[in-house]
Amino acid sequence: MDNKTQPPAFPSVDMATFLASSAHDMKNSISLLIRGLDGILGSVDAKTFAAYDDLAQMTYEAKRVNGNLIQLLTLYKIGQDIYPFDPQPVALGDFVELIAAHSAELLKSQGVALEHASEPDLYWDFDEDLVAGIIGNAFNNAIHYTRDRVRLSAACVDGSLELRIEDNGTGYPQHMLEECAGGMRGVDFAAGSTGLGLYFSAVVARMHRQRERCGEIRLENGGALGGGCFILRLP
Amino acid sequence: MSFQPADNTPEADFSTRSFLIVDDFQGMRTILRDILRNCGANAKNIATAGNGSEAVAQLAATPFDVVLCDFNLGKGKNGQQVLEEAKVRQLVGPACAWIMVTAEKTSDAVSGAAEYQPDAYLLKPITEAMLRQRLARIWTKKEAFADIDRAVRQGDVAAAVARCDERLRIDKANAAELLRTKCDLLLSSGDLARAKQTFESILAQRDVPWAKVGLARIHMQNGDYAAARAMLEETLAVNAAYLEAHDLMAKTLQAMGDLEAASAAIERAVRISPNSVARQKNLGEVAMRLGKSDAAERAFRRSVTLGEHSILKTADAYLGLAKACAANDRPDEALRVLDQVDKTFDDESVRTHSLAVEGMVHQQTGNAIKAKEIADRLTQKTAAAGQVDAALALDTARLLFATGARDAAVELLQSEVRNAPENAALLGEVKDIFSAAAMADEGAALVEASRKAAMEQMNRGVLLAREGRHDEAIVAMRAAREAMPRNVRVLFNLTHVIIGKLQQAGGADPRLVEEARGSLAAAHALSPGEVRHATLKAALDAVVGAR
Repeated sequence: MDNKTQPPAFPSVDMATFLASSAHDMKNSISLLIRGLDGILGSVDAKTFAAYDDLAQMTYEAKRVNGNLIQLLTLYKIGQDIYPFDPQPVALGDFVELIAAHSAELLKSQGVALEHASEPDLYWDFDEDLVAGIIGNAFNNAIHYTRDRVRLSAACVDGSLELRIEDNGTGYPQHMLEECAGGMRGVDFAAGSTGLGLYFSAVVARMHRQRERCGEIRLENGGALGGGCFILRLP
Repeated sequence: MSFQPADNTPEADFSTRSFLIVDDFQGMRTILRDILRNCGANAKNIATAGNGSEAVAQLAATPFDVVLCDFNLGKGKNGQQVLEEAKVRQLVGPACAWIMVTAEKTSDAVSGAAEYQPDAYLLKPITEAMLRQRLARIWTKKEAFADIDRAVRQGDVAAAVARCDERLRIDKANAAELLRTKCDLLLSSGDLARAKQTFESILAQRDVPWAKVGLARIHMQNGDYAAARAMLEETLAVNAAYLEAHDLMAKTLQAMGDLEAASAAIERAVRISPNSVARQKNLGEVAMRLGKSDAAERAFRRSVTLGEHSILKTADAYLGLAKACAANDRPDEALRVLDQVDKTFDDESVRTHSLAVEGMVHQQTGNAIKAKEIADRLTQKTAAAGQVDAALALDTARLLFATGARDAAVELLQSEVRNAPENAALLGEVKDIFSAAAMADEGAALVEASRKAAMEQMNRGVLLAREGRHDEAIVAMRAAREAMPRNVRVLFNLTHVIIGKLQQAGGADPRLVEEARGSLAAAHALSPGEVRHATLKAALDAVVGAR
């Protein structure tokens, strides 16, 4: 190529900021989309409206995309040291109740029943929005692997708060158990799994520190319902 | 370990409460109204506002129990500015529940100042369950704090602290908030020892960021800046976006005289929360002192723009902007800004200050006659006003130096030093002004002499009182107050010697009691949260009560 005709170089852009601002913009559009879909779903009769199931599936997908974008933006802010991390004492009874109320509809639309339990009078310091994000993500995983039941529970175990999301499916596949145990292996576009959810959960868990201890996530099989268990432990 | 299904939240009663919905979208207002009605709210108790000014007008006309306010309100005031105005103008009391609705979790909306924080932030989309649960939680908390708030309103800090302690024994749900309030009360009343003890007992259990920042605050008040800095660094290592810690860090570094580091600390806070009128102004002031007039101009301009619709806008940001423009060789623009400040703030002391800056601008452009004329007018004004605030006095001194009125400038600066002989930041700035007037060595000597003389005069009455010469002590401290009307230690010491006299006389001469109270109140207004305020107030109450 003739050097003289080479176009001038583009000014260099900070790719991370570029991605973040785009994600922000996409999130705003998706929010409008979800609001519209929810409006339609609320105004029609599930039994008589033929496309109800399709519409519900579309809403579910839109919410999943929205959740992913929020996680991306949050990770960006955490990386830039500008995320307003705000650990506050939370009453676990209320917290579990609210998340259950918030997610029950979504889970029901996927044919999954949700049960929940919390040790009475349990209070713990954590960032409520971040931990709610982790649990939402774990629900999304559980939907894929469960048969028809998911259970959310909170308890104090060995001086840590333990939040468990358990299901009655066949359990998490081996590669996911390994991925979680061995740290994050990165993006696998071919498999359709970006690892974003688990990475987000691991980062957020680690932000919760108490002296030398920090939070962690674990995947196991078995548990109360005999299927997969996602475990979040916070010091 | 026993498991039981999560308790249902106690049913919150919406039916008797009044609500204000603030959102710039009609559709959103309708959705929120429907949600409230589904929660049991009475339709005729729900009012709506489509923008910030409308919301403020509604709040001024009627008290509301709950305000649901979107942060982003399009043009004009944003939600935070509505909240700030409502608090400053006392349109909402402690019983009002303020919920700020935001599209995402971001620190942009957070100002960092505790007194202007809403009761909760809720992320969109708002659901019925979310609102029900959050309001139930807020109402339970308000109930728990009703007695404490009442005691605070009556100015009885000791009773408020006692209510906190009572409540802490039975209320696990609000334990953290109660502890925090108790510490704030102890700090604001100057009871550092008990505050410190409380912070330490909290930290013995868990690492709690606000308790660490509280301890840092105490180190700072005790003058142990290195310890404060270390504590704040520790907090920020775990919680990098903690605004309160950044703000206190900036103050600590300023007190240590490390302006470069202080400026970096404010810049970090500004990156996290770019919309604070006060923080941008602080950034401008530090940049100006560092001689970075470009950066100062940017920060002041930002503060002025952000303050356009804010009740927290300051004349200092405009004056700073004018000074920065002048320093950047744009005197015409500086004069335009000063013109704007006179129109924006209807305040005599602001006009006087604006005049001082204007004089400097004329001096800079070579209009010595006009500068001199302004300097003369200022001298008359200050003589008539009796006492002026420190920033105005320093700018006046700068102009007096520039226009050749050296003796008057020196006298003014000496009086400022006498008023605050223990304020390291102020002494530094005074020395800078002397240096700029080519009087560095002479100035340093003058500052030191004034400081020493003030310290002696501050303590003379206390020494006399110690010898039992109470009447002479009072006379000496009154003279000191006359000479240094804004010297906090003098005001405290005057109170102290009056208490000594009252104790000796065994009776409470109402005029002396009143003088002591006035002096104490003046000290508190100048420097809230001093240790001695609490102890002197208690001593005064005791001697009056023991009559």
